[in-house]
Amino acid sequence: MSGAGARENVFATRMALTNTKQRLKGAQTGHSLLAKKRDALTTRFRAILKKVDEAKRKMGKVMQLASFSMAEVTYATGDVSYLVQEQAKLATFRVKAKQDNVSGVILPAFEVDRVAGSDFNLTGLGRGGQQIMKAKEVYAKAIETLVELASLQTAFTILDEVIRATNRRVNAIEHVIMPRLENTIRYIMSELDEMDREEFFRANMDNPRLKKVQGKKKRDAAAREALQDQLALEEAVDNPPAAVESSIGIDDEESTDLLSGKDADVIF
Amino acid sequence: MEALFFNVDNGFLEAIVRGYKAGILTQNQYSNLAQCETLEDFRTQLSATDYGNFLANEPLPISTSTIADKATQILVDQFNYLRNNAVQPLAKFLEYITYAYMIDNVVLLITGTLHERDTHELLERCHPLGIFDTMPALCVATNVEELYQSVLVETPLAPYFRDCLSATDLDDLNIEIIRNTVYKAYLEDFYNFCTTLGSPTSDMMHKILEFEADRRTVNITINSFNTELSKEQRAKLFPAIGRLWPEGNNQLARADEMDQVRQACESVSEYRSFFSDVGSAQGNGSGNGYNDLAAASHLEDRFFRMEVHLNKQSFLQQFQYGIFYSYMKLKEQEIRNLTWIAECIAQDAKDRIQDFIPIF
Amino acid sequence: MTTSFKDRNLIAVIGDEDSITGLLLAGIGHVNEQQKKNFLIVDSKTQIATIESTFQEFTERKDIAILLINQHIAEKIRPSVDKYQQAFPALLEIPSKDHPYDPSKDSILKRVQKLFGE
Repeated sequence: MSGAGARENVFATRMALTNTKQRLKGAQTGHSLLAKKRDALTTRFRAILKKVDEAKRKMGKVMQLASFSMAEVTYATGDVSYLVQEQAKLATFRVKAKQDNVSGVILPAFEVDRVAGSDFNLTGLGRGGQQIMKAKEVYAKAIETLVELASLQTAFTILDEVIRATNRRVNAIEHVIMPRLENTIRYIMSELDEMDREEFFRANMDNPRLKKVQGKKKRDAAAREALQDQLALEEAVDNPPAAVESSIGIDDEESTDLLSGKDADVIF
Repeated sequence: MEALFFNVDNGFLEAIVRGYKAGILTQNQYSNLAQCETLEDFRTQLSATDYGNFLANEPLPISTSTIADKATQILVDQFNYLRNNAVQPLAKFLEYITYAYMIDNVVLLITGTLHERDTHELLERCHPLGIFDTMPALCVATNVEELYQSVLVETPLAPYFRDCLSATDLDDLNIEIIRNTVYKAYLEDFYNFCTTLGSPTSDMMHKILEFEADRRTVNITINSFNTELSKEQRAKLFPAIGRLWPEGNNQLARADEMDQVRQACESVSEYRSFFSDVGSAQGNGSGNGYNDLAAASHLEDRFFRMEVHLNKQSFLQQFQYGIFYSYMKLKEQEIRNLTWIAECIAQDAKDRIQDFIPIF
Repeated sequence: MTTSFKDRNLIAVIGDEDSITGLLLAGIGHVNEQQKKNFLIVDSKTQIATIESTFQEFTERKDIAILLINQHIAEKIRPSVDKYQQAFPALLEIPSKDHPYDPSKDSILKRVQKLFGE
C-alpha cells in the first residue's frame, strides 16, 4: 500500500519524514492562497467580460456614426482619401499605457494621448472643410472608444492567461503535489515500521538467553508469533489512516513504545 | 443679334442638353429612392429613371462608390458627346468647364510626386472629366521641378501655374494653398472669358461664377480659423470677383470668427439669410467650437442649395452657354444626392436620408 | 509579457480606404524613419498574402499598442487572427462602412461566449 501511487524518491528516515510533512503543510497553505487569488481574478475577469461585451457592441454604433461622417465628407468635398493618406506623417493621436494591479497581476490600461496637430487643417479649404473637421472629431471620439475597448481586451487576454496559469497551479497542487507528498509520508512511515520490525527480529535472533532456553523449533514458533503480533500491530498502525496525517508523529511514538513493550513481553 | 445666329452653331447641342436636363431626377423619384430598404431596391428604382440599367452588370453587393463612379461615367459620356459636337466658342467654353477638374487632378499628381509615389497608379483616381491627353506625360516627372515644367508645357493650366506659383512654391506651400491659388486664377480667367462671350451668356455665367467665388471666399475664411494660414495668405486666395468683392473680401480677410463673417456678408441680401442661425448658435453655446462647426456645415448646405437654385435659373434663359455649365453642376449635385441616399441606405441612417438637395 | 508595453504608443490599422481615411484624419497616421507606415489599405486587388504579412509585421512591431483591423478583412485571414493570443498589441476588429459589425465573428467575443457558455 505504501508503494501505490506516485511518491518522491527519498530515503526513509525520520528527517525526510519531517521535511515532507513540512512541505505538505506548505502545499496546503499555497493551495488555499492560490485558490483565493483565482477567485479574486475570476471576479475581476467576469466584470471585464461583461464590459468587453458591452464595449464591443457600443463600438459597432460609434464606428457606424464615424463612417457616416465620412460619407458627409465625401458628399461635400469629394474624394480626399489620397490626400489624407499622403499627408499622414507623425501620429498626433497616440496612446499611453498605465498600470493597474489586480491581485498581483499587472494589467496595462491604455490612455488617449492626443496632441493638437495641424495636419489636416487645410484639407478641404475651399470646400467641405467643416465636414472634414467634424469627421475628424467624430473619428477621434470613435478611437477613444476603441482605445477603451483595447484596454479592456488586453486586460481580458492577460487575465485569461493568468487565470489559466493559476488554475493549472491550483489543480497541480491539489491533484499531483499533495497526493504525492501524502504518499511519500505513508511510504516513509511504513518503511520505518518495517525497519523497526527487522530490528526487533534481529535482536531476538541474537538474544543468547533465548537461544539457551529454547530449541530451534521454539524459537521459530516464537518468531512466528512475534511476526503475527507484528502484523496485528501494523494493522493497528495503518488501519486508522485518517489519523495518520494529523497525528503521525504521535502515532509513530506510540507504535515504537508498543513495540518495545511487546518486546519485553515476548522475551520474558 | 446673338439669338438670331445662336442656333446655327449651338442649337443642336442646346436641344441635347435640355433633353438631358429632362432626365434629371425629380422630387418624386427621389422620394421613391429614399423609400428603398436595400441597395438592390435602390438599383431597381434607378433603372426606372433615365439612368436605366447602368448598374446591371455590377456584381452584388453594390458599393456606394460603384454607384457614384458609374453615374459619373454616364455624365462624362454625355459631356464628351457635347464636346465632340461643339464648335468654337462653345468648345472653348466646355474646355473651361473641365479645367476645374484638371486642377484637382494636377494637384493630386503633385501630391503624389511630392511623396515620391508612383504617379501612374494615381491616374485612375483622377476625375474623368479632368483627364487630358498629355496627362500620362506628367507622370514621367520624378521631382517637383520636372513636374512644374511639364505642367507648363503639357497642360492648358499653364497660365494659372505660371502666374501664381513657382517651382519652389510647389515644394514649400501646403498643397491646399496651391490648389486654391490655382483655382482662384482659374475662376477669374473663366469670368473674363465669359465676358468676351457677351450677353446673355455672360449675364448668366457671371452670376453663377460670382456666387462660386463668394462661396469659396467664405469657405476659405471659415476653414482657416485657428490654422497656420496667415491672414495675408488667406487674402491672396480670395478670387477677385464676386459680389463680396472688394470690401466684403477685405472684411473677410481680417475676420477671426463666425460673427465677423456674418457681418461681412450682411451687404448681400441673398447671403444674409445663410447666417440667420449662426448668431443664435453662438448665443446659446457662447461661441463653443462645436456649435460653430454645426453652423458652418449648415452654411455649406445652404451654399449647395443656392448653387442649385442659380443653376436652375440658367435654364430659363435661352440662347446662351450657361446651361452647359449648369447642367454639369446640377448633374454633379444629383450624383452627390444619389451617393448620399445610397450611403444612408447602406449605413441604415434613415433619419438623415432627406438631407440631400432636390433639384426639380 | 508586460515588460515593453511602455514603449508602445501607436495605433495601427489594416482596413479599407474609407475606414483608414477617417482614422488618419483623427491623427493616428505615422510614418517612421524606415518609411514604414502604420496602416495598410486593403481593396479588392490586395493579395491575401500581403494582408497576412502586414498582419504579422504589425503584430511583431514593438511600437504598436493597438492594432485595428476591419472585420471583413479579418475574415480573410481568420486563422491567423484566431490564433493570435498575445496581449500586445491588442487586436481589435472594427466594423467598416459596408460591413456592419457582427459580434458572432469576433475572435475575442467568441472566446467570451465560450467562457460564458461553459
